[in-house]
Amino acid sequence: MKEVIAIIRMDMINKTKEALLQNGFPAVTGLKVMGRGKKKVDFTLIESLVSGAEIEPSSLGEALSEGHRLIPKRMLKIVVEDAKVKELIDTIISVNQKGHPGDGKIFVLPLVDAVRVRTGETGELAL
Amino acid sequence: MLMIKAIIRPEKVGIVLSELSDGGFPAVTKVDVMGRGKQKGVRVGEVFYDEIPKVMLIMVVRDEDKDDVIKIIMKNARTGTKAAFGDGKIFVTPVEEVYTISSGSNEL
Repeated sequence: MKEVIAIIRMDMINKTKEALLQNGFPAVTGLKVMGRGKKKVDFTLIESLVSGAEIEPSSLGEALSEGHRLIPKRMLKIVVEDAKVKELIDTIISVNQKGHPGDGKIFVLPLVDAVRVRTGETGELAL
Repeated sequence: MLMIKAIIRPEKVGIVLSELSDGGFPAVTKVDVMGRGKQKGVRVGEVFYDEIPKVMLIMVVRDEDKDDVIKIIMKNARTGTKAAFGDGKIFVTPVEEVYTISSGSNEL
């Protein structure tokens, strides 16, 4: 069993959910998270707007141009059996890949056990 | 690769994030969570709180970077000089595969 954690763009959640459903992965847990990646976001556009004398430098502008600002993202957690991991990852990548930094990351973690609360079934039966 | 999940005080997030960034680990995900620890929560006067707001920072790093990241979090998430209950916990779990969606490559 594997836990697949995908961090994707906020506005891609509906398309991703739809694609997962089509490909036989209906069970998903979603979280709203804040995050940043390896690449620093380029805030020069915002800075030039502020320093262009049209707008007074505001606390918002300063907060936006801070180096370590976090961006809202969606985190999806999906538990699948080992054989389906590849298919799941291909599905997520094909929907979310735009070729730009910020498209997201996918992590695959090992999972020891799963239990279905309703029946008490364990292991792959519980998925 | 390893996933580091650190549960820390909300007021320490700013300093921890900027120190991580300065230390060369900019990539991080932040989630607001509620929780309690071994002390079963906190009592303030008559009221007992067992759902204390915390922030979970999630990072995936190379095995050799683990100690550096943990050291940075430890140093900056502690309160006062002696540290206190409720400063948080750090959990480390293995990550088998990593994919970058923008390029489709399976590296960090």
